[in-house]
Amino acid sequence: MQVGGARAAEQGSRAELQDRLRDIQSITDAALSRLDDQELLTELLERTRAVLHADTAAVLLLDYTSGHLIAAAAAGLEEEVRQGVRIPVGRGFAGRIAAQHRPVILDRVDHSTVLNPILLAKGIRALMGVPLIASGKVIGVLHVGSLTQRQFTSEELELLELAGNRAAAALASLMARDDRVAAEALQRSLLPSALPKEVSADMAVRYVPGAGKVGGDWYDVFCAPSGHLWAVIGDVTGSGLAAAVIMGRMRSALRAYALETADPADVLARLDRKMQHFEPGALATVLCAVFEPGLDRVRICSAGHFPPVIAAPGYAAEVAEIPSGLLIGVARDARRRAATLEITPGSLFCFYTDGLIERRGQLIDQGLGRLCQAVTTQPPELACAAVMADLVGNETATDDIAVLMLRCRPSASQS
Amino acid sequence: MIGGDDRRRWDDGRAVVRMPAEIDVTNAAEIREVLRAAASRSSSVLIIDMSATTFCDSAGVQAIIDAYNQVDARNRSRTTHTQLRLVASGVRRIIALVGIDQLIPVYSTVEAALADPAGGPHGRDQPAE
Repeated sequence: MQVGGARAAEQGSRAELQDRLRDIQSITDAALSRLDDQELLTELLERTRAVLHADTAAVLLLDYTSGHLIAAAAAGLEEEVRQGVRIPVGRGFAGRIAAQHRPVILDRVDHSTVLNPILLAKGIRALMGVPLIASGKVIGVLHVGSLTQRQFTSEELELLELAGNRAAAALASLMARDDRVAAEALQRSLLPSALPKEVSADMAVRYVPGAGKVGGDWYDVFCAPSGHLWAVIGDVTGSGLAAAVIMGRMRSALRAYALETADPADVLARLDRKMQHFEPGALATVLCAVFEPGLDRVRICSAGHFPPVIAAPGYAAEVAEIPSGLLIGVARDARRRAATLEITPGSLFCFYTDGLIERRGQLIDQGLGRLCQAVTTQPPELACAAVMADLVGNETATDDIAVLMLRCRPSASQS
Repeated sequence: MIGGDDRRRWDDGRAVVRMPAEIDVTNAAEIREVLRAAASRSSSVLIIDMSATTFCDSAGVQAIIDAYNQVDARNRSRTTHTQLRLVASGVRRIIALVGIDQLIPVYSTVEAALADPAGGPHGRDQPAE
């Protein structure tokens, strides 16, 4: 009887374990469909806490910039999140889990084992935590705690690891999506507004993210207080949110320098110094074209960027002859030279990024040749449409493509 | 893609690293590692041979800038001096466009790059060919 009773109890606990396993497995599938990371985390923590009969559960996410774990969601320990608890990687209970990439079980909680004052103040007696790992990288820590003395078992650790795996996969995809959404929002917020009415020019733009991934291409058009019209186009190496953030900083720095001088070479030299100091390692190409208030002349300076293609009425479009310059972010004393060009009224300027003309298995000159054939002195919207149709057509872009068309209106005497 | 056969070395410390036909984001990391390894050895002349390269996008440009920065840092911190040289034909336009020719002397053939006694230190204009 006794032996049979023990077996029944064992079978009972195994069945219970199976149930608990199923419970965990169902967590993220149901929660993921709602696609809200805060809801997902809350759901996950409530279920994990219930399944493991724990008093608290918390997720801390790793902030790569600071090297801190930051409390993102908690059940039974909500003040962790409200107070923005931060734990340096390598220190304390959660910090050790993140640094060593492995689970930790504590049956003694005091100042020597735990850094987080809230866990101590709350009276937590036992803790068990696992790293959240996505694509081989630690993205955070999931832990549960008990208010009573308790020894977490290896079966319970397995359950927590299972929950952790599920959470890590779901969080990684949510974070990637957040990055993409943020990068896209940033890109959109940086689209230049319409030209001021007093400028006798028209413009049109196109922006196509490469392979569905937003990158660091940008353009900008604005008038300085002096009346000079600035057209800027650039490309930050890399992609995603990181490139988009650097792009945003370059764009606003360049606008600030343009308030001080109408010399594009000077502005690019200042931008280069700023980038090398504050964003070391970042590389970018930038081209500035500064139109005189009457649109009679334009000064163009390039930092590693393709020259514009210019179509004058009655002539085939040509690649502008401007001096080349080193890209931004490399050398302290790069030489910056600008070219001054006379403008025939009615001329159209096509500014673009490399994604428009670079194709594998094709020399650059072929791409430039095709662009010159496609650019004519049409109204900018039509010129954009023609160029995109001829150079992109039905292809899916692998690299970002940005195009800015600016046409100076034909002078009154001519028309 | 770029194996042992693509690296040549002479007793006097001159070395050539041959680049593939196309350089883009798919192989730039590998190329960066090969260039990094080549730049970490002491050489009197290190030649990046892009004579067979017909396509090089911004990821490729970044790999070359990386090699330049590494050689430049080494030259500053040591008494030994490595001259970095570049050979380009199909991608010469892109090399000039991004201004790499202002950092590294550019030649049309490996023979010309090997033969040039001066090469010009970094940062100067490329030598006449």
